[in-house]
Amino acid sequence: MTNGFTGGDRGFGAPAHLGDALSALLDGELPPPVEQGARAHLAGCPACAGELVAVDQARRWVRSLPLVEPPFGFYERMLLDRAQPTAAAFGARSTLRRRAGLAALGAAAAAVTVLGVGSPSQAPVNPAVPRLIEAHATSASVGADLLSKLAPAGVPVSFGR
Amino acid sequence: MSGSGVPTWEEIARDHGRFLYTVAYRLTGNSHDAQDLVQDVLLKVRRGLETYRPGSLEGWLSRITTNTFLDEARRRGRRPVDLLPDDPDRVIPPSPGADVVLAAEALPDHVQDALRRLPEEYRAAVVLCDVVGRSYEEIGEILDVPVGTVRSRIHRGRALLRKALT
Repeated sequence: MTNGFTGGDRGFGAPAHLGDALSALLDGELPPPVEQGARAHLAGCPACAGELVAVDQARRWVRSLPLVEPPFGFYERMLLDRAQPTAAAFGARSTLRRRAGLAALGAAAAAVTVLGVGSPSQAPVNPAVPRLIEAHATSASVGADLLSKLAPAGVPVSFGR
Repeated sequence: MSGSGVPTWEEIARDHGRFLYTVAYRLTGNSHDAQDLVQDVLLKVRRGLETYRPGSLEGWLSRITTNTFLDEARRRGRRPVDLLPDDPDRVIPPSPGADVVLAAEALPDHVQDALRRLPEEYRAAVVLCDVVGRSYEEIGEILDVPVGTVRSRIHRGRALLRKALT
């Protein structure tokens, strides 16, 4: 007969070793009658007892591994990607394509942060200078230095192609 | 959750991002591949390619992650799983002095490195059991293999880990 262990009984009276059942024993995955048989076997089999110690050690090592923090901004970059349908990073399977995509996304994120405007890939860039001048002229006091006050608004012009 | 009850990938990233990345990292063994794997998983979620059944969200995510990982490994034509002979009575020789082993500690980086060296099918079973905390039956469903195969892969994976770290 077999006792539910990996090796079972080979039919000539030699006791089977527990084998895979040792891990199942550690994990509480053996039915109660089989578990009782396994424990009884362990009591008289130094080989299986030693193997139990060994796999239990490995089991505890893996279980004690900590959670891993994703790289800073990893998910945020994907959120950004979702807002930019032209970016290929999200759908890319190859590492190379993903990295290139993430690099592009990083550049886009930097542009958004620094300039407060859309991605550099958005063309043509139109800072609407005449409209800014008109708006400024409406609110500016008479005699003010119009050009110096417009200087900050003129910054985006520099990345026009 | 979206109207259909399926979690959005934004919700997954926000609420389960660390869990998902951890599973991916334990499976792939490095940050770049883990990032690729997480992106592939979220892409599947976003495209509605995986059926969500209300229940353990992390169980669902670990299923997608593991199968995506194994699909990619097979696509790359990596090592076959049967590196060890199918000898049911094989006994892992205990190291000199089991008491010494009991007291030994392994650094997480070393454990991760040994994990990375396991055949993918063993690694997936060990990660699902010892990192994710799934039962053998659940692992069998995830990997589409019988429980006996799950038991074998977990045990052999642990045996190889133990050998690599001592």
